Amino acid sequence: MNSPMDRERASDSDPGGKSRCELEINLEILRKVSIFSAIPIDRLKLYAYLSKRLKYRAGEFVFRHGESGNLGYIIICGMAQVIREIQTHSIFLHEFKEGDFFGGFALFADAPRLFSVRAVTDLECLTIDRETFQKLIVQSPEVGVRMLEILVRRVIQMEEKLLQDQSVACLVR
Amino acid sequence: MISRKPLFAWVFERQRGLQVLLILLILAAILLRVFPLEMQKRIVNTAIGLRNLNALFLYCGLYLAAVVLAGLFKYLINLLQGYLGQRILLRMRTQLYDHILSLPLPFFRRTPPGMVIASLTSELSAIGEFMGGAIAVPIINVLTLLAFAAYMAYLNPLLALLSFSIYPIEIVIIPLLQKRFNRLNRDRIEVTRTMSNVIGEAISGMHEVQGNAGYQLENQKLGGSASRLFEIRLKMNNFKFLIKFTNNFFQSLGPFILFIVGGYLTIQGRFDLGALVAFLSAYEKLYDPWKELMDYYQGYQDSKVRYRQIMDAFDVAPEFQRLPEEDREPYLLDGRIDVEALSFMADGQIRILDQISLALQAGQQLALVGLSGSGKSTLAMVVGQLYHYRSGHVLIGGRELRDLTRVDVSHNMGFVAQYPFIFDGTILDNLLYACRALSSKGSGKQRPLPTREEIFQVLDRIAFADDILEIGLNTLLTPERHPRFAGQLIGVRDSFFQRWERELGGLVDFFDASRFQHHTSIAENIIFGHPNRKLYESQELTHNELFRRFLHQANLQTPLLALGKDLAVSTVDLLKGLEADAFFFKTSPISADEFDFYRELVDRLSHGARERLPRELEDALLGLALRFTPAVHKMASLSTGLEEQLLQARQDFMALITREDPDAITFYRPGEYLYAHSVLENVIFGHLRTDQAEVNERLRRVVVDLLEEVGLIDDVREIGLEFQVGSKGDRLSGGQKQKIGIARALLKNPHILILDEATASLDNASQARIQHLLNVELKGKHTLVAVVHRLEMVREYDLIAVMKAGRIVELGRYEELMARKGLFYELAHGSGESF
Repeated sequence: MNSPMDRERASDSDPGGKSRCELEINLEILRKVSIFSAIPIDRLKLYAYLSKRLKYRAGEFVFRHGESGNLGYIIICGMAQVIREIQTHSIFLHEFKEGDFFGGFALFADAPRLFSVRAVTDLECLTIDRETFQKLIVQSPEVGVRMLEILVRRVIQMEEKLLQDQSVACLVR
Repeated sequence: MISRKPLFAWVFERQRGLQVLLILLILAAILLRVFPLEMQKRIVNTAIGLRNLNALFLYCGLYLAAVVLAGLFKYLINLLQGYLGQRILLRMRTQLYDHILSLPLPFFRRTPPGMVIASLTSELSAIGEFMGGAIAVPIINVLTLLAFAAYMAYLNPLLALLSFSIYPIEIVIIPLLQKRFNRLNRDRIEVTRTMSNVIGEAISGMHEVQGNAGYQLENQKLGGSASRLFEIRLKMNNFKFLIKFTNNFFQSLGPFILFIVGGYLTIQGRFDLGALVAFLSAYEKLYDPWKELMDYYQGYQDSKVRYRQIMDAFDVAPEFQRLPEEDREPYLLDGRIDVEALSFMADGQIRILDQISLALQAGQQLALVGLSGSGKSTLAMVVGQLYHYRSGHVLIGGRELRDLTRVDVSHNMGFVAQYPFIFDGTILDNLLYACRALSSKGSGKQRPLPTREEIFQVLDRIAFADDILEIGLNTLLTPERHPRFAGQLIGVRDSFFQRWERELGGLVDFFDASRFQHHTSIAENIIFGHPNRKLYESQELTHNELFRRFLHQANLQTPLLALGKDLAVSTVDLLKGLEADAFFFKTSPISADEFDFYRELVDRLSHGARERLPRELEDALLGLALRFTPAVHKMASLSTGLEEQLLQARQDFMALITREDPDAITFYRPGEYLYAHSVLENVIFGHLRTDQAEVNERLRRVVVDLLEEVGLIDDVREIGLEFQVGSKGDRLSGGQKQKIGIARALLKNPHILILDEATASLDNASQARIQHLLNVELKGKHTLVAVVHRLEMVREYDLIAVMKAGRIVELGRYEELMARKGLFYELAHGSGESF
């Protein structure tokens, strides 16, 4: 299979034949994601060690609105779109690209997905599951606090947007 | 009825010829026993007394011949006796079992299996041993006694009379003792039964015993019976040996009388010495037959007690006839069912069915619903001829059900219980159980067994075909049983690889000798096959001298040691402080238990980097490197150089093994079937790259499609049908067992089908499939009576009977019942859970 990942792996090999291990590559990816960037490097190594790669073909759903899931995703390569499916049609909401992190709520609680994510191109993600994540949080609680902060900020943003939309709707009516 | 048959009736049944032969042999043997006595007398009186050498030789020769012949006859008698006994036992056992099998179901509710087993095995065996000699032993011994007595009377009537005078006393005393013994023996059987029931119960409820740590309780239950048995046995021994003592005592009084009277007479010259010697011998010989008669008497008493206890326990009449009395084919009944004023009492007291009446045309479908305890299952069982009814009528095809024989009913009706019983054996054995019963001897008209196609068709209709296929795909074939099929699968493997290699390459690491397998350990990458000896299993390789030599020659020792160090250092660095939680070690080459060992090793490496490690530490590092699986263990990586080196090593190692120890490893060669792997794995022929369920499912589908295409799918299913289900079907799921129960009935293709909540443990999809089968495919063709638990499934039935407290309170179609807004409506709108 000739996926972007294979190319990447090939390019990781330096001329001497010594290649970087997957843990190091994962670590690099994680460091570029804001939510993980604050974690000290020796702790983040564990995240890199315990996260798994998943591949999706173009058009495949990563997860669907309403499903319960237990994974958070970071896109290693490829593109994905965020949609919300409403009975007869679906609404395109957003697009995720390399380095984006999504599905993070699932790491904290078993809640239904708020939207669907579908691969636009062939897609490779680095994923971490809830059990692992929570084990790691217990190992270094300060990371958890930091994560919580970022998540709360996100929720506030969303609420803000929601309230704004609502007030606009009210004004129109 | 067998349970009323007297014990001795068995002896005279069928083998009269052999019994007569036995008696003739015995008569001959007795003559041969008396004959030496006469010779003895003549040797003393004629030969020795008259110094006649010729006579001595003649009489001694005759003596010897008689003794040898007597021994030979005794041997033949014993053989024949043993044979007769075992024959009687065999007949008794099979006939009794046959009788037990036809006893009414309620009998088995109150009879624990332990009691039936004990009766049919040990208790009956003891009787069998006695039965062999039941005729011969008394005859032989009474006759011997008489013969010796006559001979003694001929020698001296007075002495004979005196020596016999003791026997009448014995005959009075011994039966008195025996009577006490018999009473104890009856108690013993009772207690033994209780004990086997206690054990049987504990074993079938073992999960409850162990779950509640009820060991003490159970042992106390057993202890009660066991110590009671101990007491009884002691008392029994007391009487048994008291009888022996009495017997011996009176026996030894005999010689005393003989010596005193006989000696006196001989001194007086009224009796010759030879006659006295013969007389004493004769008296001694009385002892054996008398003792045997005593043993016989005790054996007879014991057997009589056992026999009565056994037969009384099973003295119940079967409720239905098995075969018609007149010689006729089983009835072919149409599917009409008429129930008129049917009432049914359990244990003669509790009224479970009360004045039930309903009529069902052939091909109509009836659902029985109601709360539990309303009698719906009982009604189904009465209609299925599993319970006997006394009041009211059940007419099947216009004939009274209670007058129909079992064979009539089983030819026309299929019954599926809520928890169908699964017998030990293969799935196929279980599927064909009903059909084999019909096609066996003594079941009237014989029917051919269903063909493979018919079986698969039925399995498909009840959504069981996929389960069977799955089982087939996971089966390990054996070279003895499936050599041809294994060969065909190699062909499928080739097509699979050619067609899917490109697309599935991301999911499977194919066993391709020219490619490195990233999802497999380094050890397996070198071995590249299935080890047939322990020495070649991955964890043993560091101790395998041949392998170690090979690593050295292939220049792998140094790079692998370096890799081992790298792995140890980075893993210890990554996971230190986390040893307490095995979770973090799932994708680590070092397990949590080994962590301390490797941490010390790493310490040592960092301090004395120059010094050479001791051999065992080097072995540990090498072992770590051999375990390394690049796709799993993320903390290290393989250089492309080493990868190529390992691929070369694989080739060289294969050559080495083929030369030195060809049977040690079954290599992954495209043309070789791997008997240690399943059918599915043999087609895929590679390691899966992930443990994701969807991916595995996708691969499975691809393989199934391919097998279908090349026409081998039915062969895989057939292999699935050969699956051994284990005792009570332990290796199957509840749903699978239920499907077997349904298939078993459907394969008979009966006019009438009775289902007692037969789909309760199925998953929703299977349930829907079977619902469709019943309400659409079978509609109009098979009469159906179904006890239904879930109300959403009764919509399609022609008739719904709502039961309450043994009565039908509402009867009609779904719409009618809903419109009536009665109990059915209430149940349908109630919690729904109560159903």
